[in-house]
Amino acid sequence: MILVGELALWVALLMAAWAATTSFAGGALGREDLVASGRRGLYATTAMMVLASIGLWTALLTHDFSLKYVASNTSANMPKVYVFAAFWGGQAGSMLFWALILSVYSAIAIRFVPVKARDLVPWACGTLAVILVFFIATVCFKANPYDRLSFVPADGRGMNPQLQNPGMAIHPPNLYLGYVATSIPFAFAIAALVTRRLDAEWLGIVRRWSLLSWFFLTIGITLGMWWAYVELGWSGYWAWDPVENASLLPWLTGTAFLHSIMIQEKRGMLRKWNVVLVVTTFLLAIFGTFITRSGIIESVHSFAQSPVGSWFATFFLTATATTIYFVATRLRDLEARAELESMVSREAAFLYNNVVLVGIAFSVLWGTLFPILSEWVRGSKITVGPPFFNTVNIPLGLLLLGLTGVGPLIAWRKASTSNLKRQFAVPTATGLIVGVVLFALGMRDGYALVAYTLAGFVAATIVQEFQKGISARRNIHGESIPVAVVRLIGRNRRRYGGYIVHAGIVVLFAAFAGLAFKKDHDVQMKAGEAKELVDPLGHRWRFVSQGVSTSETLNRFVTAVGLEVFRDGVPQGILTSEKRQYFDSNKQPQFQPSTEVGIRPSAKMDLYVVLAGVRDETAELRISFNPLVVWVWIGGMIMAIGGLIVMWPQAERRRAPSGYVATLEPKRELAATT
Amino acid sequence: MQRRDFITRSLALGGSALFGARALQAQQGTPADTTGNLFDMNQGAARTVTRPPKPGARPSMDADTRDALEHKIRCQCGCTLDVYTCRTTDFSCEVSPAMHRDVMALVEGGYSAQEILDAFVDTYGERALMAPKKEGFNWAGYLVPFGALAAGAAAVLVVLRGMQRGSTPTEVPVDGVPVPPIGTADEMTKLNDAIRNDD
Repeated sequence: MILVGELALWVALLMAAWAATTSFAGGALGREDLVASGRRGLYATTAMMVLASIGLWTALLTHDFSLKYVASNTSANMPKVYVFAAFWGGQAGSMLFWALILSVYSAIAIRFVPVKARDLVPWACGTLAVILVFFIATVCFKANPYDRLSFVPADGRGMNPQLQNPGMAIHPPNLYLGYVATSIPFAFAIAALVTRRLDAEWLGIVRRWSLLSWFFLTIGITLGMWWAYVELGWSGYWAWDPVENASLLPWLTGTAFLHSIMIQEKRGMLRKWNVVLVVTTFLLAIFGTFITRSGIIESVHSFAQSPVGSWFATFFLTATATTIYFVATRLRDLEARAELESMVSREAAFLYNNVVLVGIAFSVLWGTLFPILSEWVRGSKITVGPPFFNTVNIPLGLLLLGLTGVGPLIAWRKASTSNLKRQFAVPTATGLIVGVVLFALGMRDGYALVAYTLAGFVAATIVQEFQKGISARRNIHGESIPVAVVRLIGRNRRRYGGYIVHAGIVVLFAAFAGLAFKKDHDVQMKAGEAKELVDPLGHRWRFVSQGVSTSETLNRFVTAVGLEVFRDGVPQGILTSEKRQYFDSNKQPQFQPSTEVGIRPSAKMDLYVVLAGVRDETAELRISFNPLVVWVWIGGMIMAIGGLIVMWPQAERRRAPSGYVATLEPKRELAATT
Repeated sequence: MQRRDFITRSLALGGSALFGARALQAQQGTPADTTGNLFDMNQGAARTVTRPPKPGARPSMDADTRDALEHKIRCQCGCTLDVYTCRTTDFSCEVSPAMHRDVMALVEGGYSAQEILDAFVDTYGERALMAPKKEGFNWAGYLVPFGALAAGAAAVLVVLRGMQRGSTPTEVPVDGVPVPPIGTADEMTKLNDAIRNDD
């Protein structure tokens, strides 16, 4: 099976090349037989990629250490689930995984193209096949998981212990599912540009796939934050690392697109802008992959001295040049079909929101690349870390939060003064009350105060919108509140699903603002020793060390410290933090020691204990009080649920005819209308 | 070409490519291992940052202020974390504890926070800081995002104003007959409100 998989990989490369050639030729010559051949070539590529992937999974699960990839990323004593996840744990496997997802997505997208958009198929299929050729060729020639060692080691090196975490098993696939989904809108955008069919058909396909991409990126980013928090032990979840930034960039532009597409659907405006956002989102996914896999930027996730960087750079530049050419030569076809009536309208508000989202994306990209720019200009290396990103992005993020509330309150086309007063009165008052109350309670952090004031404002806008909809349903249909809520959301998933996403954003920002009150303490404790600390809310915590213990489990030595915890004198149980040293089948240490954090989560605040090390039987610990962290995960989940509601297909409802029906005599209809 | 022929030839070509690539790889030797995806720690990155104690020196700051200062200094092991976070997270790093000892010595020597940061920059270069100093070319780093946002906002406003001007409705009389109002002012207000409140 392994040899079949390896062979399938090379056949997939040929199939993808065939699909690209015949699709483009079929599109250019108008020959349906070539188009059909290209389509079948794409399906065959998918089948080959599935075989190639099964081959690698077989090699991993049967511990075929003759493959360098298997020997480098797994060992015989690793739990099966992580052996399975090792498929995407390393460079070559992750590239194969990317190509696998792309081939499956491509086959689905082309198979289920609506009849009205059939003209786009040759070009979309060809574009997807070209992207596939690039990824499969990269796997074949630069990062081949089937590369063999000149000898067969008795055991493999194993997986970095920090990657042996459930979050790490499911976080990368979600990110890849999100990244790769940006290829489909890109391919259909190119197809629409080539054929100049920039109407509603391509937009519908693009919107569905953009939503899918956004959904998986949201889940992937949230899971990544959770993994960093529980596994890395530095008591945070976002470090503005280039890899994190790379995932955020397409998410930001994708979010901007999902807002601006509504303006095109409703008003026929922003046609150029939407095309630019679609292709930018894809190009940012590729560019992010390039900067993190080329080694040009220092990152905690770096694939050092990776050979795929130059390939990604070439592909990125080619794709960018092609896109610029097509957009530049189709500007007339992208003219708006309606004009803006007022600067104070929902479409204008969405545009302001777009400017801020793209502005944040630019600032993140700028900060990520600034060390390279600085080195070019000044010749000296600098670091652009969290202080920089926080300085630049916190004000922009707060502006975005405010706009999240403003958009839904303003009417389409043109808002009247009475409309604005009616819509804004309660949310503005709510936000101000929240701010004043928090100030009166002693909150003095400026950014946090603004964040909570805006969060109060946006939350009130969401509640107001739901309340209006529920009241209307209750008045018209006499439904109970739960039924009205369910039907309100079910009948207008895009609108109310969007509000649920906004609710998730509010929760996230409220949780982010909690970081302003984080407190860290370094403590050294011998067995039986006690320490008292005060958390940001004024609770007194007492920690009594139960001493340091050591043990050996499946594939690791464990050094652990247990703390008996009391809050305001009330026992809270025992909290344990570990230091782990993983070893191979010969009990030889593998990798650096890793930390297993002790976390006592709660809605208000996490207690976070890290065993940094042990000296002379004294445990060196960092005890952190991290306010509101749990809400980061909840906010991410709410956003994902909202995204799912928006994505869920809505059956066409048959509207009951309203008014009266006039029956005309036969043959007189035409005369009546002329 | 028949489908069966095509598949047969593809498989043959794929096989040739596979064995050709293997032969090429055997000639080139095994490439460097690039399969890991977490950074390699550079345990030898620490350098000594020392200054003679100031005359009659007393510690220049308390532990909390010192920890805050260490949040501004970057550990050089490759972890991308600051010294405080790295040293309190993972004792296998030998770089951040060494940098911490240097900070402690400078604090004991009576040096201010800025003087300590300058001492680290003298030794490691500006990459010792978690964020670039706000001076010279670095201002571009801080200001360009806001400038770009302002430029983007200005461009959008210009475009919107242009669109707004282009959309002003004009009522052109036909054959000298004035265009009659579609409805009364009151009716138009109600209609507009209904449209605006839709969605």
